[in-house]
Amino acid sequence: MKSTQYSEKTLDHFRNPRNVGTLEGDDVAVGRVGNPVCGDIMEMFIRVRDDRIEDIAFQTFGCGSAVATSSMTTELVKGMTLDEALTVTRRDVADALDGLPPIKMHCSNLAADALHDAIKNYRSGKKLEPMSTEEIAGAGTGCGVSVATVVEGIADYAGRGVYAAVPDVTQLADKRVLIVDKGVASARLALALTEVTPRVIFLTELDALGLPEELATQVKRSDVKVLFQSRLAAVRGEGEVEKVLIHDLDEDNDYELFVDAVVMLEP
Amino acid sequence: MDREVYLDYQSAKPVDPRVVEAMLPYFTERFGNPASLHTVGDRATAVLDEGRAGVAAFIGAQPDEVIFTSGATESNNLALIGYANRAKREGAHVIISEVEHISLHNIGKFLEKSGFRVTKVPPDQFGRIDPDKLRSRITDDTVLVSVGWASNEIGTVQPISRIAEMLRGTGVALHVDAVAAEGLLPMDMSAVPVDLLSLSSNDIYGPPGLGALYVRKGVRLAAVTIGGGQENGLRSGTENMPAIVGMAAAARISAEELPRESARLAAMRDRLIAAVLSTIPDSHLNGHPTERLPNNAHFRFEGIEGESLLLSMKDKGIAVSTGSACSSKTLEPSHTLISCGLLHQEAHGSLEFTFGRFSQDADVDRVMEVLPDIVARLRRMSPLYETH
Repeated sequence: MKSTQYSEKTLDHFRNPRNVGTLEGDDVAVGRVGNPVCGDIMEMFIRVRDDRIEDIAFQTFGCGSAVATSSMTTELVKGMTLDEALTVTRRDVADALDGLPPIKMHCSNLAADALHDAIKNYRSGKKLEPMSTEEIAGAGTGCGVSVATVVEGIADYAGRGVYAAVPDVTQLADKRVLIVDKGVASARLALALTEVTPRVIFLTELDALGLPEELATQVKRSDVKVLFQSRLAAVRGEGEVEKVLIHDLDEDNDYELFVDAVVMLEP
Repeated sequence: MDREVYLDYQSAKPVDPRVVEAMLPYFTERFGNPASLHTVGDRATAVLDEGRAGVAAFIGAQPDEVIFTSGATESNNLALIGYANRAKREGAHVIISEVEHISLHNIGKFLEKSGFRVTKVPPDQFGRIDPDKLRSRITDDTVLVSVGWASNEIGTVQPISRIAEMLRGTGVALHVDAVAAEGLLPMDMSAVPVDLLSLSSNDIYGPPGLGALYVRKGVRLAAVTIGGGQENGLRSGTENMPAIVGMAAAARISAEELPRESARLAAMRDRLIAAVLSTIPDSHLNGHPTERLPNNAHFRFEGIEGESLLLSMKDKGIAVSTGSACSSKTLEPSHTLISCGLLHQEAHGSLEFTFGRFSQDADVDRVMEVLPDIVARLRRMSPLYETH
């Protein structure tokens, strides 16, 4: 299935999105997720009365699928209790839209994540102001990814090949290291690792290096192997990291890559 | 037409003329079936015993530990299927390294269909199997481990002694496919506790169509080929006498020449590696930088596809291999390269050179005359390659 092959229902929600806008008032909470670098920003507003979502609205800056899934999410959860709303999965949203192209499944995460964030903020009494149009416009273009993308199996390998920080690069000497793009710090780490191992892979969802020019040039000239438009989908191995499943966003397919370590720097 | 340069010795080797000469009488006047009870049969029995002793001596084994087969693939079948079936009561788990020849992976699939659990142990980025990682795969149910002495593709040599020592006394048998390494590295079964070792005749410049399986005394197998009970009942079928004479002759020559020949090959290999890496930008050596077969140089060139490289080399009269010879017909990249951590496009951009007994220094010169231009030309038309 091509990435743009949407169901009629999805196209309808994209063309005529429901519940677009913002909400205001003391009983309103806002959830916000997204990665300004890749371009997807999602805000979800909920008005809660008697523990139920009485009203809901969203704003998004993203691809067709992001718009449609947000729209559908708002329809699905309107009137639900907060606990009920928390059980709505991205699969429920995709099913309600008569399916999504596999490559676009991650977009439905954005809406759910924003909703969860809004509920969390409501319960903790935290107030967020809606973003200004300038802030949203400055976020970039295209269909990116939520910061909260779930990588299958990653939690199982913490300390067994998955690293949130690498204080000393020599601990990864001669290892095949996959570094997930988390911006400048991750790129600098990738460069540093080339001193201790011949195999450093930099995985980015973008189609170009979203780094300051000088750093991008350094990465290009180095032995760092950059994989563009690629997402880490799963971590696999017996007892320790042995391979990863990579999702190619351009080709919309998955493939395995043998590695020894996965680095996802904590923001 | 340019002089033909053959640098694909891992795919096929010419039979050494000295071996052919030793074999010839056994097609005609010295024919015979060792099972016959008359004089002609007795003579054949003596020749068979001598041939077996010759191959056994080549690997430091006893003659009755050598079973002749039709080739390394059959040896691998007998070793894995024969051992697993016989050991079924002790367990149903077999471990195979990821960097094995395709024949072993397919035998593994067959074993899975027969009710065994087969797991693979991945190598490091240089193609080496870590004995500790291997050990972590072993369970109470494990009966057999199969790791090649060296990779037929990338030439990485495995720490076989350490693996064998690690397995000693565990009750888990070790099978080693020695085809890529035989004749290039010394092998002594009296010193290394390997249980089963697959050999091929052609890979030591003997005749094709013959192989052998070393079966350590006390290691029990179930026959895979059933028939007249030849080869101690493990491999029925009338013996291929000329080929056995040939393999024994090839083993003798190989053992005699090994130290000098391996050094000669390693010098050519090192010269090619140094020349390629220093003159061709964005070229990399696949496999291990030092622990590699003396005859193997395996490169990848960023941004170009191995087959177009192979065809361009072919136009210049140079025979090389891309990935595994067996997989050239398929679009799938080499499994060995993938398990070392290469991406599909990198694996596809790989080229393998294997030197052999009739390679000369001039072959390296010829490669370096044409390869840099070929790589540059292919890169100019590649969308994947950008000069930095």
